[in-house]
Amino acid sequence: MTSSSPFAGTDRSPLDDLIGQARTRRVPSARPIGDAIVVENLAKTYPGGTEAVRGISFRVAAGESFGILGPNGAGKSTTIGMLGTLVRPTGGRASVAGFDVVAQPTEVRRRIGFAMQQAGVDDFATPKELMVLHGRLHGLRKHEAAARAGLLLGIMQLADEADRRLAALSGGTRRRVDLAASLMQLPPVLFLDEPTEGLDPRSRSGVWDTLERLRSRLGLTLVLTTHFMDEGDRLCERIAIIDGGTVVAEGAPATLKANLGGNATLEDVYLHYTGRTFEDTRRAA
Amino acid sequence: MTSKVQPLLLAQRALMQFPRNPLLVGFSVMPVLMMYLVFGGLFEGVARLPGFPTDNYFEYLAPTAILLATVPGIGNAGVALASDFQSGYFHKLLTTPTSVGDVMLGRLLGDCLRLAVQAALVLLLAIALGAEIATGVPGALLMIVMGTLLGIVTFGAVSANLAIRTRDAAAVQAIQPMAFLLIFLTSAYQSSDQIDSRVLRTVIELNPAEHVLRPMRELMLSGYDWAGIGTGFLVIAGLGAVALPLTARNYRSAYS
Repeated sequence: MTSSSPFAGTDRSPLDDLIGQARTRRVPSARPIGDAIVVENLAKTYPGGTEAVRGISFRVAAGESFGILGPNGAGKSTTIGMLGTLVRPTGGRASVAGFDVVAQPTEVRRRIGFAMQQAGVDDFATPKELMVLHGRLHGLRKHEAAARAGLLLGIMQLADEADRRLAALSGGTRRRVDLAASLMQLPPVLFLDEPTEGLDPRSRSGVWDTLERLRSRLGLTLVLTTHFMDEGDRLCERIAIIDGGTVVAEGAPATLKANLGGNATLEDVYLHYTGRTFEDTRRAA
Repeated sequence: MTSKVQPLLLAQRALMQFPRNPLLVGFSVMPVLMMYLVFGGLFEGVARLPGFPTDNYFEYLAPTAILLATVPGIGNAGVALASDFQSGYFHKLLTTPTSVGDVMLGRLLGDCLRLAVQAALVLLLAIALGAEIATGVPGALLMIVMGTLLGIVTFGAVSANLAIRTRDAAAVQAIQPMAFLLIFLTSAYQSSDQIDSRVLRTVIELNPAEHVLRPMRELMLSGYDWAGIGTGFLVIAGLGAVALPLTARNYRSAYS
């Protein structure tokens, strides 16, 4: 954690406590496998005939952070939705934490957290209530859920908003609540669909710090979609660039940049493979 | 363990939502109580007609008011469901080990309890206005159960399916007045043998709500009409046999 982070000095103790809880967690862990996520020829055609994803394949190792980058409409959210059991694939197969996303969706859901592109929160609840409910839905006892919600609210700098109605909170705060709720069960795999969209730069940096520490200390597998270059560069060990529903490039950001030669940036890589800049993507979104 | 607890947790959430939305409380409870008072006062004279089953019109009207509380009242469940779709919370719930069936059952349980409380409020007002329940507390409970179940299998199913299809709370709200038609086209305000129009009498006879309202009124005014009660539950079961699988199928389509 950097000293400039808004989380500096506030999360050491709660995060350490959370990590301590993770070591004795009661929630199911991933099957002991090398790859946390295996995707083979995964496809999705919506009922209207739109081919959102056209047979993509990739693997994510346990504990790895993997980014899915692509322009608006490339199939990023559909892909992460299929991995999170929210969208039913129409072709191929995928497994998460060793379980098939179609045949064993409940087992997959026991092992994942999912922070959505549109913060999925209940406006009539408070952040604390929402998080406790999510913990309880994952099988935590009431006092366990309350204690963990308290820790996560502290880590995400939400303690002051813990008992306010979500309807009254800003978009950025709601997203942080959604992210915190996704961590309630300390999942081995965390999916983040545009995790810092709508957050100010300071909050984004704080979320990145927290995610990095959680990942490194909990062995969390992280899969995120983003159109922030710096996010992809900072958080992801490997990225897949998808366009038109197919993977057009995959590898470590440094390797992809080196392949273009010179002082290529991730922006150049992105432009090279999709024909668009990140700025175009952001505007379209 | 969790599969048994999850619907209860979600029912609790549905119940907590309700009092936190003053508009919902206002529009769900107050109009029914107002209608009961206004219609009861306006049609008081009807009770003096020869052959009318009671001399206290508020007694006659009480089962109607229960249906007014439960049938349009269940529409708020559809509004809440559509709001969950709009906010993304429905899908957030589906990222937990909660099945679509659990989400549906939780909503149903929460709203059943809410409607039962609303119906009980109506009966308390009736008692305050001098009405007597011929079958006492057991009959009152039976009326509440029948009214609540009718609400769920009729407008409850309609509003839930509309919510799933449109994912638009405003669209669900817009059709809420239609629920009143189901009740108005019964012997809600006047016994059907006192209605001149043969067409209207036929429509009333064909309306499933009439076959639930009639035994409820008997419970209020005279006693247990077991044949009528049986018919009422058969009608509810028949409607449920169509409405609930259809709703479940539409719910599952939310996972596309």
